[in-house]
Amino acid sequence: MEKHLYGLTALFDTPDAVVHAAEETVKAGYTRYDVHAPYPLHGIERTMRLKTSPLGYFALVFGLLGAISAVGLMTWITLVDYPLVIGGKPFWSWPAFVPVAFELTVLLASVLTVVSMIVIYFKFPNNSHPLHDTPFMKRVSSDGFGISIEAADPLFDEAKVHAMLASLGGKEVGAVYFDEADRDHGQKVFDLKFIGVLAGVGIAVAGFAYLALNVLLYLPPFDWMMVQNKLKPQAASTLFRDGIGMRQPVLGTVARGFLPYAFKGKPEEAGKSLANPLPVTQKVLDLGREKYLTFCSPCHGNFGRGDSRLNGQFPNPPTLHSDKVREWSDGSIYHVITEGQNVMPSYAAQVSRDERWAIVHYIRVLQRAQHAKESDLR
Amino acid sequence: MSTETHSLPPVNKSLPPEADRIGLILLAAGVVLVIAAFVFEPVRASFDAVILYLFMVSLAVGALFLLALEYITGAVWSVPMRRVTEFFAGLSPFLLILVLPLFLHIHDLFHWSHAEAVQQDPVLQGKAAYLNIPFFVTRTLVFIGIWIAFAALFVRHSTHQDITKDAALTRSNVRLAAVFFPLFAFTITFTAIDWGMSLEPHWFSTIYGVYYFSGTVIAALAAVTLVVVLFHERGYLPGLRRDHFYSLGALLFGFVNFWAYIAFAQFLLIWYANLPEETYWFIARWENGWQIVSVLLIVMKFAVPYIVLLPQEAKMDTRRLKIMAVWLLAAHFVDLFWLVMPTHSESLSLSWTELGFPLVAVGMTVLLLSWKTKRYNLVPVGDPKLQRAMDFHL
Amino acid sequence: MSTAVVDYTREEPVVAGRPTASEIDAVVSAPLDRPPARTWWIAFGITSTMLGIGVVCVAVTLWLGLGVWGVNQPVSWGFDIVNFVFWVGIGHAGTLISAILFLLRQRWRNGIARFAEAMTIFAVMCAGIFPLLHTGRPWLSLYLTPYPNQHALWVNFTSPLLWDVFAVSTYFTVSAVFWYLGLVPDFATLRDRTTHPVKKLVYSIFSLGWRHSSRHWTHFERAYLILAGFATPLVLSVHTIVSFDFAVSVIPGWHTTIFPPYFVAGAVFSGFAMVQNSLIVVRQVFRLKHLITLSTLEKMNKVMIVTGSMVGYAYAMEFFVAWYSGSQFETFVFVNRALGPYAWAYWTMVTCNVVFPQLFWFKKVRTSIPMMFVIAIFVNVGMWFERFVIVVTSLSRDFLPSSWGHYMPSIYDVGIFVGSLGLFFTLILLFVRVLPVISLAEIKAVIPGAQPERHRPH
Repeated sequence: MEKHLYGLTALFDTPDAVVHAAEETVKAGYTRYDVHAPYPLHGIERTMRLKTSPLGYFALVFGLLGAISAVGLMTWITLVDYPLVIGGKPFWSWPAFVPVAFELTVLLASVLTVVSMIVIYFKFPNNSHPLHDTPFMKRVSSDGFGISIEAADPLFDEAKVHAMLASLGGKEVGAVYFDEADRDHGQKVFDLKFIGVLAGVGIAVAGFAYLALNVLLYLPPFDWMMVQNKLKPQAASTLFRDGIGMRQPVLGTVARGFLPYAFKGKPEEAGKSLANPLPVTQKVLDLGREKYLTFCSPCHGNFGRGDSRLNGQFPNPPTLHSDKVREWSDGSIYHVITEGQNVMPSYAAQVSRDERWAIVHYIRVLQRAQHAKESDLR
Repeated sequence: MSTETHSLPPVNKSLPPEADRIGLILLAAGVVLVIAAFVFEPVRASFDAVILYLFMVSLAVGALFLLALEYITGAVWSVPMRRVTEFFAGLSPFLLILVLPLFLHIHDLFHWSHAEAVQQDPVLQGKAAYLNIPFFVTRTLVFIGIWIAFAALFVRHSTHQDITKDAALTRSNVRLAAVFFPLFAFTITFTAIDWGMSLEPHWFSTIYGVYYFSGTVIAALAAVTLVVVLFHERGYLPGLRRDHFYSLGALLFGFVNFWAYIAFAQFLLIWYANLPEETYWFIARWENGWQIVSVLLIVMKFAVPYIVLLPQEAKMDTRRLKIMAVWLLAAHFVDLFWLVMPTHSESLSLSWTELGFPLVAVGMTVLLLSWKTKRYNLVPVGDPKLQRAMDFHL
Repeated sequence: MSTAVVDYTREEPVVAGRPTASEIDAVVSAPLDRPPARTWWIAFGITSTMLGIGVVCVAVTLWLGLGVWGVNQPVSWGFDIVNFVFWVGIGHAGTLISAILFLLRQRWRNGIARFAEAMTIFAVMCAGIFPLLHTGRPWLSLYLTPYPNQHALWVNFTSPLLWDVFAVSTYFTVSAVFWYLGLVPDFATLRDRTTHPVKKLVYSIFSLGWRHSSRHWTHFERAYLILAGFATPLVLSVHTIVSFDFAVSVIPGWHTTIFPPYFVAGAVFSGFAMVQNSLIVVRQVFRLKHLITLSTLEKMNKVMIVTGSMVGYAYAMEFFVAWYSGSQFETFVFVNRALGPYAWAYWTMVTCNVVFPQLFWFKKVRTSIPMMFVIAIFVNVGMWFERFVIVVTSLSRDFLPSSWGHYMPSIYDVGIFVGSLGLFFTLILLFVRVLPVISLAEIKAVIPGAQPERHRPH
């Protein structure tokens, strides 16, 4: 296997010696060199004439990215996508957004800056550098200070560099080699092994997801509270003597809004006692019209003339414009809708009380339209 | 290999005579305007005087705090500039003069000082044990007494050390600092409550003392920074390098953030809980023109200094530090104006009476500095940490 | 006037004696290379038993529901929230030591930063358990994050509980990154020391291929500074937001503006106590007394007295303003704390947090290992009771006397807390076996003679 020269390395005992050597290396004009130490040496960046690390700008950009995306997301959610009043505060409550915006700023700025440093500036992970596993690396890892000058440097001349390092007091001045083969054995995306591992991981994740979402979530205690210690209405129960789970209401119980009708079978009394509680307003008349057209017009006709399609198929539905009906009180009409009359059934189940009264008002409108007074026409 | 050391600067230069003249003119003009203000608009002038008092407390007691902080943390970098801090601590006896006109106008300032108002107000009756004139005057005087005593002791040990070079004096100042901190927390909190919070005797906020403290440190640091930079530029403190200014700038930057943190915490909690007995204080500062001052305060005391001081280079750049120091001193003045003045006038108004008070502050400080430089060395030459401080590196 | 004991003209050395870099490597990595001692196994047995108790109690809680806990109406926040705040607080010392003291250039932090950061991460893990369990169905915790879900619902961005989710997860992530970044050079050192092939592989992977290059160190130092700059406001924000959980409400005793700085001071206080306690044991067992010096411990005690006094200041301010406010509810809450049914908890808190740490004013106490150990334990007990007092007293008796209640933890509450302690110390025991407890690179940088004397920048 062919060996290539990576460069020369030299070790120094004290930080001062290595700083001095670095100074001389810079003076000699080398550019592809490095100073190795187990910890950061103060001021080495100035000796090596390195530029100030630009990571501060990275942090600034990533931080602004975090802040803007956080504020943007919260603004869009609370103003556009799902505006919701919370605690009587305005939709866009900026003081409450400060904590989350701050956290995301810090998160993106710190994590992405470190990742950028590792990937862009260090080009890590890289465990196949020629310097790895050399005696030189073992020393600078622990207590040594070293200089490495690469063969790729334009001024590189093995003998000259060797002499210079030795004259600066460098110990164990030596050459580091690398194999071309080592160089190339980088990762390949289409490597069969890599694809195999990828596929294996994919199948495992999918399998676990299926298991978790379709099996695990339906087992207690993760069962969405499907199993509960309570009595369902249709189930049998040993608690009650009749063995039925469902209970009758206590005798005399009246449901809210369902007072029994007081004039059952008493049309005259209903006509006398009941008065329409609703005012005549556009809203009430609109309701009455709607309900009349839905429930009454199939028999009585759209205008109350008793001329619907059913005419002739039944005992004819009577017109609502007859003198009898016109002279009826509101209560009487209400009673008929509630109780029914002759073949007409009760509509109490379909039409609520207020709707019935609204229908009564609407019938009065229809009657007035057919029997307009002179004053109405003016 | 020789360890590089930095030589000590010359230490006994005094300010040129123009300083005296400028200081005297400013002070005289200020005093005339202040007297005129008290004659023509006594109530407004009293409120202005409260702002001046709180401002000067910030400089004097804030400087004391910085002194104590240096001793207790064993900080090294600040030793060459400690004399400037000590000069500012020397303002504390003058607080007695500044507080006198306020005592004469207690009834103009404090709603709770009116017996008939307290009689109709059960809440104020409950506080009467604390908010009454004799106790109020006594504790103010005791606080000033404590500050004067500590300023005198700190400075005496420090200046005495110039002659004796005795390291034991540093040790006794460290002990003094340890005793001073609890007293400082106590006095600065109750000064803030007395002269700031009790202007609105129904309002309360537990963080108020910390809020005033944060502004106090900013003001004192800014004043010290300003004078240190000016002295340095004119060759009075030549030994200082970027490393020293960086430390000063970083501390200033840190406290700007701290102030913003405290101010935001107070606002957020009151805004969020929305209790009427607390919110009215902020509403008063968000109506009738006061919202301008509120926004100005955020911009002046946080946004601008934050952006300017954020880069590393800015904290070492004396020019930017100088501008920011003046800027932050102005910001602290606006802060105090925002805290105090809405009690006096419901809508934002500026009056000619405001003019005299800053003049008094500046004139007084210039005269004091000039006088102190004649009397004392500009650098604590006897301090055992001085050589380390001159060699200080980041 | 006594003669000065301290020599002010010279900087106090961080490391005692003059150990060489290779000696430091040897002593710090020694526990990684030898089989654990018998005492370690005993300690591990105890902590993993505690962890086991916790696991059983969590399992019972999940199976039967939160009804097994002591929480009730009106005290719907009990041990879970107390423990959450307690653990988050413990975590704060780590970031304080690694970030804030770094920015303040306190070089004595170099010996203890690694350990403190590890504690931060473990403490935040322990803290995270409690709010998740408190949700009742922790397996649905994805709903805590804002993602476009099938219900078209978003999280409530105005809720401090949601801020907590962001704060704690950010805190955990950034702490972990900070910790790992500091570990990278040490992994490289371990990689080059070890002869064991498996260890070498593992260390190589985690070292990312670090070459101790000065070109890298410049970026590394910059990144470390940036991280410290962000971690500092972050650590303040985390406990600030935890305090918002309480302070944005209108409950008397919770709604008070001093809560944010007060919580932060308390967090640092308790965290330092925990770090100090653990370090005393570690430096004893692993013979690191010259690297974690008595002077370092003394400085930590000084931090404790400062933060303890800040906490005391906050107690006093709360009391004063409760009276000064003239609000009868506020006044009642504080009288009730001191004299009501939980007075025992209140006075435990005051004694442990405010009274005992004052002993640190005496140098004798500050430099006596047994004394400081006991006081730090008291501080931790006191800080736990502080959270108990805040959570329970305010909830158990607020505006309506008809709705007052009483809280007593159930055996499961206690078991889960014991479990979290077990988790924490188990993780610490594992940590000291597999990673260097002292940052090799950082401690080497502060031994005498480590830095070039000449060639200083101007």
